Amino acid sequence: MLFQQITNGLTIGMIYALIALGYTMVYGILKIVNFAHGDIYMIGSFLGLFFLKELQVPLFVAFIFSAVVTALLGITIERAAYRPLRKADRIVPLISALGVSTFLISVAQLIWGTEMRPFPTSFGSKTYVVGSVTISEIQILILVLSCLLMVGLHLFVKKTKIGTAMRATSINLTNAALLGINTNRMISLAFAIGSALAACAGIMVGIYYNAVYPTMGYMAGINAFTAAVLGGIGSIPGAMLGGVLLGLVEALAGAYISTQYKSVISFAILIIVLLIRPSGILGKKEINKV
Amino acid sequence: MKRQLKQLSIGLIAILLIGILGACSNNSGSSNSDTIRIGLAAPISGTQAQYGTAFKNGAELAAAQINEAGGIDGKQVEIVIEDDKGDSNEAVNVANKFVSDKSILGVVGHFNSSATLATAPVYNKNKIVQISPSSSAPAVTNAGEYTYRVITTDAFQADYLATWSQELGYKKVALIYEQSDFGIGLLDVYKQSAPGNNIEVTATEAYNPGEKDFSTVLTKIKTTEPDAIFIGGFYNEAALIAQQAQKLGMDVEFIGVDSLYSEALLELGQQSVEDFKIIGFFYPGGSNEKATEFAEQYQTKYNSKPDTYAAYSYVATSLIIDAIKENGTDREGIKTFLDQVKDYEGATGVLSFDENGDVITVPTKLKVANGEFVNFE
Amino acid sequence: MNRKLFVLIIAALLLALPLLLGQVSEFWLHVMIMIGIFSILSMGLNVIIGYAGQFALGHAAFYGIGAYTAALLLINYDLSFWLVLPISAIVTGFFGFLLGTPVIRLRGDYLGIVTLGFGEIVRLIFVNWVDVTRGPMGLPGIPAPELFGYSFSGKIEFYYLILVLVVITYFVINRIVHSGIGLNMLTIREDERLAASIGIRPNKYKIMAFTIGAFFAGIAGAFWAAYISYVSPDAFRYLDSVNILAMVILGGSGNLAGSILGASILVVTPELLRYVSEYRMLLLGLAIVLMMIFKPTGFWGEKHRKLNFYGKVQKGEGK
Repeated sequence: MLFQQITNGLTIGMIYALIALGYTMVYGILKIVNFAHGDIYMIGSFLGLFFLKELQVPLFVAFIFSAVVTALLGITIERAAYRPLRKADRIVPLISALGVSTFLISVAQLIWGTEMRPFPTSFGSKTYVVGSVTISEIQILILVLSCLLMVGLHLFVKKTKIGTAMRATSINLTNAALLGINTNRMISLAFAIGSALAACAGIMVGIYYNAVYPTMGYMAGINAFTAAVLGGIGSIPGAMLGGVLLGLVEALAGAYISTQYKSVISFAILIIVLLIRPSGILGKKEINKV
Repeated sequence: MKRQLKQLSIGLIAILLIGILGACSNNSGSSNSDTIRIGLAAPISGTQAQYGTAFKNGAELAAAQINEAGGIDGKQVEIVIEDDKGDSNEAVNVANKFVSDKSILGVVGHFNSSATLATAPVYNKNKIVQISPSSSAPAVTNAGEYTYRVITTDAFQADYLATWSQELGYKKVALIYEQSDFGIGLLDVYKQSAPGNNIEVTATEAYNPGEKDFSTVLTKIKTTEPDAIFIGGFYNEAALIAQQAQKLGMDVEFIGVDSLYSEALLELGQQSVEDFKIIGFFYPGGSNEKATEFAEQYQTKYNSKPDTYAAYSYVATSLIIDAIKENGTDREGIKTFLDQVKDYEGATGVLSFDENGDVITVPTKLKVANGEFVNFE
Repeated sequence: MNRKLFVLIIAALLLALPLLLGQVSEFWLHVMIMIGIFSILSMGLNVIIGYAGQFALGHAAFYGIGAYTAALLLINYDLSFWLVLPISAIVTGFFGFLLGTPVIRLRGDYLGIVTLGFGEIVRLIFVNWVDVTRGPMGLPGIPAPELFGYSFSGKIEFYYLILVLVVITYFVINRIVHSGIGLNMLTIREDERLAASIGIRPNKYKIMAFTIGAFFAGIAGAFWAAYISYVSPDAFRYLDSVNILAMVILGGSGNLAGSILGASILVVTPELLRYVSEYRMLLLGLAIVLMMIFKPTGFWGEKHRKLNFYGKVQKGEGK
């Protein structure tokens, strides 16, 4: 049972990690929490469903299409709702994000209805038995694809020129601009990548649970945000670690302590971690500017 | 201090204006007496919005039918829909809105038992009938003399299911229930009735409403090797549970109550919900002609199959419409009608109300075969 | 002099309002009462956010603790509402103190997520601790307050009660934030290191802000429990915390009258938008984004506060 629970926890943890990356990348640069990110993930999932069902494209094409459209949506949201507020107090974009979140949920309800919708793909229901662990095809896809995406992102940020520019922007926005980096473009890029990853997570969750619905971003968003903070918000490896840890904690706490209290336990762990390390596990210590 | 005072007073003026404006707008809205207005309170937005849609469709179909037939004494029936978001805060706002609008004759709602319980004092104080299509918590029984419901209590269904479980030959049953008034109600009664039916309850696992990942719970239950799992929740979660059980390689049967009756269960669960056994009240295609007729008309109007909640909402609305037909446009008349109604033939079966406003009706045993609900023989 | 007259007129109108509204519409009287409840909540949160500068996302938890404390005391111990009201406020204030003590080390968004987590934990305890809270079934049958043997049965009595509570809350918090305590909080908000360097202990004042905010949330909660006569966990969700936060920001953080305005806007707007039914939340979302873009400091925000506050200090009118 232990290994089965670990497998379950890892699967959901990977999803949290993918979504958490969106929070962390935006936070790394703009220092704002994009509370609409969970709903971007929901839209990504619905778009995947749309491409699969209405346009009948193969699964991997649906991933790409949905990621691209969702990335554009992310950029648009930043332009419309956050850019005008860049000079305002940090709490102000947060409220604006909540407005965007409400807006996106209603749009999804108007277009796709309020019901839960199944994902029309036969992929993923096959299961394999390895020792005492039963693992399904879709779980394998989630584990593999998430790892690939995260490694890819890591290489992109560390090894490419644009990645370096992004890191420079996240270290200091003004200085980066002085060095000739188009910081607005970097911000758009952060939103685009975060949204695209969320769209991939959305489609995989859609297949995993065979269900997509307009309010799915709410809990996923809170959990992913928790994961990002746990790992140290602003840190990309931190988001990955935080996501996986949170998934494991939820599964094991649910298995050995209590399923009702599993969110209580994960929040309690978050609080304890933050009290010991106020900037999360891999987060950089905030330097007090004098 | 002066500036603060000025600001405070501007704020207060704004509030006053809003209040007065509201009062006026409300006044003008209710002056129209050519229509008969029935309130519908449902979660139109929020996490339970899918049930709100079912409520809305069911109620509007009932109104459309009577309107096509010429209305009641030539007056058209209008359903006034208000969103309670499935939240008792909002529900109380809605209830107050309904009771203060004198043109609203009766109210269909709310969805959650907690919303029904929170609003019952408002409706009862203002002597307006409230028929809940779906609040099955036992506490609703004593919510007040103007509070009725067309769904049986959790206690009734869980007890019935325990007896049926024995008939099906189950010895060990595990429970997965929603941590809500509904789920806990089912759990308590089933656990109580189980020993009398020679059933051992091997595990009871709760989930919080909105949960989508059941792999943890199911892995735990798998080790207790039950013959069947009783899902004390709604159809969406039931479909997820069945699928995830299949992905974990579990070989187990599933049972449940009327909350699982929905086309969505079949669509979302596909082959994994095959052979589900559930208690139903609404079952088109069987001996209940009203149900079949309702399902056909629903299909024509909305191009989808109705679920249990659409049916309950339809019945609740039809009851109010029939009451108005019988006793005229009078709030009190609706109550008189409901207290006297006997063996009312509705889409969810033949029903009457007891002295507490609880429904008395007989359930049907159903199962899923070849992706459809069929009568259990 | 003129302003005094003005305020008097407003006060008279507010006092007479139920007589006007009560005849026309019980519903709008109810909306006025809800504005009152949320005004108290947002003024309390304003102390934490607007004055002490601490980003808290779990205010609904305090509201819930107040409501549950009051409900349990009223149902199980048969105490008078007038005793329960202060007890609930003190108990909730104590929880604010308890939460504040460990978390003041955290800053900004970290504090935000921890308070959000606290809010969720409190709500899940309401849901799952069935023996005491009856879980999701909630606690029905909370007795109405009585005054000199006269039982509160209609909305009008509750309206006057909440009016009195709002006025008390306004004046008490106003006194606090315009005293040395408030000035110290503002200093911490502007620059914590500076505050520490001139001998203000940031931790003490942050905990104080949490305690004050929670105390008043407890009052609002106790009132809600008595008014609705039923409490259940679904009224104290994360979204309710967010709503209260939006009221503070929309009205203008650091301005008490602004909080009342913010509460009025966010209670009334969704009600006015009811006629658009399924487009309601869509329009509300859009409206919030637009309001933030055009009024990023809220309606009566920062600018106002700085002007009148520091202005007064310079003129020596403040304390």
